[in-house]
Amino acid sequence: MPANLLLSVSLKYWQDFQDTLAKVMDANIYILDINGGAFSQFSRDVELCRKMNNGGKICNEKCLRFYKDTLGSLEDKGTFTCPYGIRLYAYRLGTYAQKIGFLLVTSGRIRTRVDSEEENVFVTKADSIYQTINEVLKAILEKNLLGLRRLELNSIYEISRLLISTVELEKVMDLITNSLIIIYRAELGFVGLREGDKIRVAQAKGDHGNLLIGKEWPMLQPLIEKVFSKVEPTFLSADELMTLPGLADLKVNSGNKIMVYPLWTSLGGVGLLGIVFYPEAMDDNDNRNLQIYANFAAIALANAKLVSRLEKEAETDFLTGFFNKRAMRNMLVNELERTIRYDIPLAVVFLDIDNFKSYNDTFGHVAGDVVLQKMAEIIKNSIRTVDIAGRYGGEEFVIILPGTKEEGAVAVAERIRKSIERYHLPHRKITASIGIALAKKSDSVDSLLERADQSLYQAKRQGKNCYCLETS
Amino acid sequence: MNDYVDKRIERFETLLKEIWTASEKYLGTFSVKLLVERAVWDLSAEYREIELLQCDEGGISCAEIAASVKKNPNLPVDEMFTKFITKYVEILARLVGREKTDKIVKKLNEEFGGISFNL
Repeated sequence: MPANLLLSVSLKYWQDFQDTLAKVMDANIYILDINGGAFSQFSRDVELCRKMNNGGKICNEKCLRFYKDTLGSLEDKGTFTCPYGIRLYAYRLGTYAQKIGFLLVTSGRIRTRVDSEEENVFVTKADSIYQTINEVLKAILEKNLLGLRRLELNSIYEISRLLISTVELEKVMDLITNSLIIIYRAELGFVGLREGDKIRVAQAKGDHGNLLIGKEWPMLQPLIEKVFSKVEPTFLSADELMTLPGLADLKVNSGNKIMVYPLWTSLGGVGLLGIVFYPEAMDDNDNRNLQIYANFAAIALANAKLVSRLEKEAETDFLTGFFNKRAMRNMLVNELERTIRYDIPLAVVFLDIDNFKSYNDTFGHVAGDVVLQKMAEIIKNSIRTVDIAGRYGGEEFVIILPGTKEEGAVAVAERIRKSIERYHLPHRKITASIGIALAKKSDSVDSLLERADQSLYQAKRQGKNCYCLETS
Repeated sequence: MNDYVDKRIERFETLLKEIWTASEKYLGTFSVKLLVERAVWDLSAEYREIELLQCDEGGISCAEIAASVKKNPNLPVDEMFTKFITKYVEILARLVGREKTDKIVKKLNEEFGGISFNL
């Protein structure tokens, strides 16, 4: 396989073509790749070369060194004499932007002495060979490039299609990392999402990709700061990458290139896209095209962030930070379903602050808001993490207690009631009345809430600052 | 002779369908299709006929290759498909990890013992 990714040529067919050309032109042709390594074999037997190199490819140390030195400094073309006295004509193949390799042409008949006319004739012949081979290779390169761009376009089309739906964030990240491996033969591709003051790796594919998933890097980590200090991608060495926390087990070949794109949107830096690859696997065009993937990743992440923020806002009570009425009802649907399906208990507690209207009217709405916030804090501190608390409206709160029977619900209600009663607010003492209902298999959300509400009014009728359990 | 080659292609088609199904589970349809296209592209310089491998959301088909072999009976079918599968699995391993790929290859080796491919 040639070192250049884009030059995908069948060597068998190529050798046939090269040999035929050599025969027609009565010359010997040999091609080396861009690193000076063997690409094809000698087209015609040159006894001296065959003897020195034991076959059709250059392997003699002296020859290898000579070609490496000579071709490394070759501009476009040049005439040289090899260490064993063979006169050869060397050409650089490809374009200035896309270097393919080197062509060597020698006479089919090696002679120790040639006159200048013979030399001129052969130079013309070698130039023609170069023109032909270079045109063919450039055509192959163009064809290969088109094939690669078609793959790129396909994957970009699919990613853009997925972007229509923001719930497909996982799929977009998956497709981006897959495409990096499939199209660019990346060794490793990863996407990190910004979560507050850190970056968390949400998706990674390729060699040891699993070691990266879930790793967290603070935004203030010097390398992450460096990545987000600019809009363009940052090129890193393997050693630099290893300075990120948690990568001790990751093995990255020191010869690999690492590129990290910061994902910028109107919301700011939303994440990063990282790629580890062989230097030969990508050229400048590929680097630019990768920016398209980075942009798509950024849009997908920004969309997902916005949707998640909107969803959160749509179900959160701004004043207390508790779930609002709509979110509570949705969650109660799920809890009720679980209760009926798995036959597990469920209790609902309705809480209303006593005489809240007069508190508000006397001390003002700002003071009333402080009471509501304090009540929310007390409720939050009195329940388990699995319990769900929400502000149902006005001065009413609802608490869903999954897996809780009568005794447990009563204990929670009493704990909250006593905590409120004991709490010293600046203006006057506050109390609360509480109603409790236990879910039945025949319950709907409305019927369950209705019974809890009835119990609450029962508690109010009993003189407030107490709890009341539904009477079934 | 033709019957023998037809049967070989049929067997490779079944094998490719199995590989498609197994990889789809991990990668999703689109990425599997992209992977097939990539392996076809890699190999097309050597075997033009591999471009006749049809793949869409519905799966993979070798019908056009089979038709082409009738016109060119010298096509090294086994060599072409073996190289294709090797290329495919090489990239697949990078995407889903060596462990999962080994499982897929092991299962295929059990079911298609008659076809030898060097993975």
